[in-house]
Amino acid sequence: MSLSNLIDDWSRYRKGREEGGFHDYEHMWGMSIDLNKCIGCNACSVACYAENNLAVVGKEKFEKGQGMHWLRVERYWDEPDLGEERTSEFQQHGASFLPMMCQQCNAATCEPVCPVAATYHTPDGLNAQVYNRCIGSRYCSNNCPFRLRYFNFWSYYEDSWPAPLQMQLNPDISVRDMGVMEKCTFCVQRIRTVKDTARMEDRKVRDGEVQTACSQTCPTGAIEFGDMLGMYDPESGVAETRVTKMWRKHQVELGKTKQNKQTPDMRGYRVFEFLNTDPCVMYLDRVREV
Amino acid sequence: MSFSKIKRRDFLKIMGWGGVGATLVGCDLPTTVTLEEGKEKVVSYLMPEEYVIPGVGVWYASTCQQCPSGCGIHGRVREGRVLKLEGNPASSVNKGRLCQMGQASLQAHYNPDRISKPKIRRGSSLVDATWEEAYGLIAEKTANISGSKFAWMTGSISGHQSVLLQAYLESIGSGNHFVHETINNAVWAKVSQDMLGDSNPRIRLDKAQSVLSFGADFLGTWGSPLHFSTEYAKFRTSPRGILIQVEPNMTLTGANADLWVASRPGSEGALALGIANQLVSKHGLSMSGLPGSVQSLIRSYTLDETVTATGVDADRIADIATTLKRRSPSVVLAGASAQGHEHGYQCVAAAMVLNVILGNIGKTIESNGEFAYASMAPVSGNTQSLVSFSQAAADKRFDVAFFSGVNPVYTAPKSLGLKESLANIPFKVVFSHFNDETTAMADVVLPLASAEEDWGTHVAPYQAGVGEISIQQPLMEPLSTETRGFGDIVLTLLKKRKESAYEGFADYYAYLRNAFSTIPAEHKNGASDDQFWADVLAAGLIDVGVKEASLKVKGVEFDMPKEMGNSSAMVLAPSARLGFWDGRHANLPWLQEAPDQISKVVWDSWAELHPSTAKKIGVKEGDMVKIASASGEINVKVYIYKGVHPDVIAVPLGQGHDAGFSRYAKDRGVNSLSILDAKVDRMTGELALYSTNVKVTKAAKTDDVLVRFGGSETQVGRKLVSTIPADVYERTEGGDHVA
Amino acid sequence: MSVLQHLPLGRFIEAASRGSRQTKQTVQVSFIVMLLMAAMALFSANVNAEVPNAVPPEGTYSGIHVEQPIEFPHDTHADINEINCMYCHTYARRSKVAGIPPTSKCMGCHSVIATDKPRIQKLTEYWENKQPPLWNKVHDVPDFVHFTHEKHIKRFVIDNEDLEVENVSEVCAFCHGEVKKMTVADKVKPLTMGFCQRCHQANDGPSDCWHCHK
Repeated sequence: MSLSNLIDDWSRYRKGREEGGFHDYEHMWGMSIDLNKCIGCNACSVACYAENNLAVVGKEKFEKGQGMHWLRVERYWDEPDLGEERTSEFQQHGASFLPMMCQQCNAATCEPVCPVAATYHTPDGLNAQVYNRCIGSRYCSNNCPFRLRYFNFWSYYEDSWPAPLQMQLNPDISVRDMGVMEKCTFCVQRIRTVKDTARMEDRKVRDGEVQTACSQTCPTGAIEFGDMLGMYDPESGVAETRVTKMWRKHQVELGKTKQNKQTPDMRGYRVFEFLNTDPCVMYLDRVREV
Repeated sequence: MSFSKIKRRDFLKIMGWGGVGATLVGCDLPTTVTLEEGKEKVVSYLMPEEYVIPGVGVWYASTCQQCPSGCGIHGRVREGRVLKLEGNPASSVNKGRLCQMGQASLQAHYNPDRISKPKIRRGSSLVDATWEEAYGLIAEKTANISGSKFAWMTGSISGHQSVLLQAYLESIGSGNHFVHETINNAVWAKVSQDMLGDSNPRIRLDKAQSVLSFGADFLGTWGSPLHFSTEYAKFRTSPRGILIQVEPNMTLTGANADLWVASRPGSEGALALGIANQLVSKHGLSMSGLPGSVQSLIRSYTLDETVTATGVDADRIADIATTLKRRSPSVVLAGASAQGHEHGYQCVAAAMVLNVILGNIGKTIESNGEFAYASMAPVSGNTQSLVSFSQAAADKRFDVAFFSGVNPVYTAPKSLGLKESLANIPFKVVFSHFNDETTAMADVVLPLASAEEDWGTHVAPYQAGVGEISIQQPLMEPLSTETRGFGDIVLTLLKKRKESAYEGFADYYAYLRNAFSTIPAEHKNGASDDQFWADVLAAGLIDVGVKEASLKVKGVEFDMPKEMGNSSAMVLAPSARLGFWDGRHANLPWLQEAPDQISKVVWDSWAELHPSTAKKIGVKEGDMVKIASASGEINVKVYIYKGVHPDVIAVPLGQGHDAGFSRYAKDRGVNSLSILDAKVDRMTGELALYSTNVKVTKAAKTDDVLVRFGGSETQVGRKLVSTIPADVYERTEGGDHVA
Repeated sequence: MSVLQHLPLGRFIEAASRGSRQTKQTVQVSFIVMLLMAAMALFSANVNAEVPNAVPPEGTYSGIHVEQPIEFPHDTHADINEINCMYCHTYARRSKVAGIPPTSKCMGCHSVIATDKPRIQKLTEYWENKQPPLWNKVHDVPDFVHFTHEKHIKRFVIDNEDLEVENVSEVCAFCHGEVKKMTVADKVKPLTMGFCQRCHQANDGPSDCWHCHK
């Protein structure tokens, strides 16, 4: 039964944390984003629109902050302090780009506040959003420290996909209607397809078999996606995936509020790690010649 | 602590079980809203291939047509609809990657505002017509035309479309093929041709340890952006190269630079010569191989002289020279903002001289080889063709003109008078997917099949040492029965002129199919004809190799006008972006809603101003300014930041379409190309896009606001994007190529 | 509509997952075809066989009767002539959707069999006009439901070693009722979440929300 099941999953995870960090998940999908390679070109964001039936809301609604970009590329300017209250005349080190999507927190702050359990943790380690269950209380979005949940304030279908644009809609994922919260799912429909295929062939999912739309399109290959379960459960038989290697190399571990790195200069970090939401997305420092 | 946790969990469990009963009752109520039993139609296949299964996506290879780069793509097709595009990993151009314009290609295909019927002018309006009528009219108007009276303007073109187009021009006896692209690197190509003997040299970003780029936005709009993005990733992997970008306003490449230097438009050449002077005088590099006049030109650009000419700090100039020397091999590039001047050739030549002095030729700048089949080789567009076409039209030299893959009425500055002189051409045929500024002037509009519906072959203009012919194949049945592929139209036109030569080809597909069966056996790997064709379609491309070639440095003399760098008038920068490109993609809603990479503006035009200039004019973000040039004025909202030279106002391209170019682009923003002066580069005839002086004044605010992607401009102390110095990176990850 | 009826031109590259599922499938398909042939040869009168290793879902439903362009007699095919469900509905074991068989499949037999019947003449007309019939949907689940036929067939048919292959229709009947006693199919099972959920519980199916909701 769904509700008992998700409560069970949740308790299992909490219990796992108390007992040393591991819990019996099927997969643990994770990501690594190299800001040294990210050029801020927006390809990932548009790929996400194409893959996930994201509504185009138009200028007026965008102004009100109702844009539905599950994956947004944030751009920050430096404030170089030259001393004596002077700042640089130009942005001489360029911009800082940050692709931001749902961080799929293991201790997600959005999950416990949902009054109808429409958002919960799956045995894949994903932070799920069940659209037909959602009643639109928006508590989850209020509780998300990353502001990565997007609410359907309107019914966008007619305006966003005038015929024949609706023919492009991906049938593997529903078109959300008014009153429903939505967010990045790590392209769960792709995960599902690959898992189904693997199950039909009686084998395990291979590394690199699931690619999210953003990681597949990324012009510089800055985004890596894969199963990280092998890192936490060597017994699971999940081989060391590319993304696991990245996390290990950069000495970032799940389930920690503060990383204790042997090589403190390794670039991996998680945004707002100190909030203890335990995100599954690791960023690698931007590098600049100074 | 743990006690309270358990309690909480138990509580939830109890609540959970309580909820379950209720849930189950709800679960047995049939949904009434979304079920379509008895209402929805289910269509079966008639006779599908074995691999076509409803519910399972099939991937077909094709070629992206969103810009001239020629990236290979895979299209995911399900139930006869193409749903998603990805890069083709086999393509050497994009290596499986795709940019936002490529992703949005689907919205051009499924666009609700596509033209679906041929149109013929009756009086002042265009009315729907049949293809027979349109072809009949074209045949009538071209029946006895003399070759010199006929012209065809296209965008960059290659492959068999180019072969057919040339055949058509030949059948008329015309040599008037104008190839126009606003975003080009024509001056770079000319300088490379003159100085290295190759117009399209290979840039080895992967080998370079430093890149100095004078406005070459190679991650956004210069050369083959997606290809260079994949190379950039290698450039930035240890040993990490350093990127120095010199430009009037920040491009995507500039935003990724280690050092971004603002330059006054036109001073790039002087800065390059000043750096050359430093390299020679301070670092002992040799100028041999350069003509005496260039050597003395370099000697004249002493540090003081360069500072005066460019306004760039002396330390900075010396630093750049030192970095280039120390971080060898380097590569120096020049793009739009360096070439867009009356002395654009000289600016680019000065940058190329740096490559010669630094010894980059043969190291980071190599030959790409020569594509073996000249008739299919890519012909890259430029703006010189636009200028000469406008002149010829003004001189009433043409009776019939065809336009395909271009929108010159939008891209031509008003000062060229193209729109007016088009009236001098009695019969104009426009091949187009959409109503735009040029179709509005047409006598016949031919609706084209979309890139996802058409056949074609393409040879990417920039290929890293390979000679790939990339296949464009339909990813689905045409949405409208009344659109035709470009190749099909040209073939039909050709049949009307030379029936005997082309009667054997039922359609363009048959023509292509035949062309591939005549490919030399050495490329077929012993496969049968049908198998070979099937293999090519599956791979999406075939590498036919290139003829080996090498670069040879030739001495080219040039001068550098001294006064260019230090005037104080404001200059308009019509900056191009990966997104709307030259304005052709403003009708794609995904790209309108995708925030601009730098300013994060959506659904609008904006002008970029430096804070000091904004203060002088008295405007803040979102205020309206009037930008007036000799040939017109535009009103546009401002975005203020420190990525633009104080003497520059940058208005990126894309918006300001006026002819109902789809519901998404309608009445939106301004077209900064429209008010440019008709100045050209004296050596190449290219439009000098970055040399229009303008007067900027505050204008009255309107109700229309500037909408930008939310959030703060800086990180306000939060660790969102953390940055580390390159030496730390080298220390921890140096020599480690796992990532 | 016309776009949905035809195939895109060109050649297959790889299946959706870009995995190597083709080879495996071909093996499976030929294996099943062999089984089917064996089943058809081995005449069996066992019409109400139980499905081993499975608990059928509970629930009935009385849906509206949906008219079809051709009154396709499931009873003639599946009951009288004992053609296995999976002979025509081949997609069910290969895809999430069972799909309507392609018109070419009908014509495979009916270019010679029963060509004098009006229904077959109507079918032939569709075939000759290269227009497949537009069928009306009978079994539908809401858009937010991800249901996959292939995994259910795998669980109850392919992996179910005790199942006699001629009894496949009993598995189909879990959700579609006794179609072999109908002419055109009617919806006789509720296909609600409760219906699915009870079966999942009884047969140890997954109970994670995101397994079935998209």
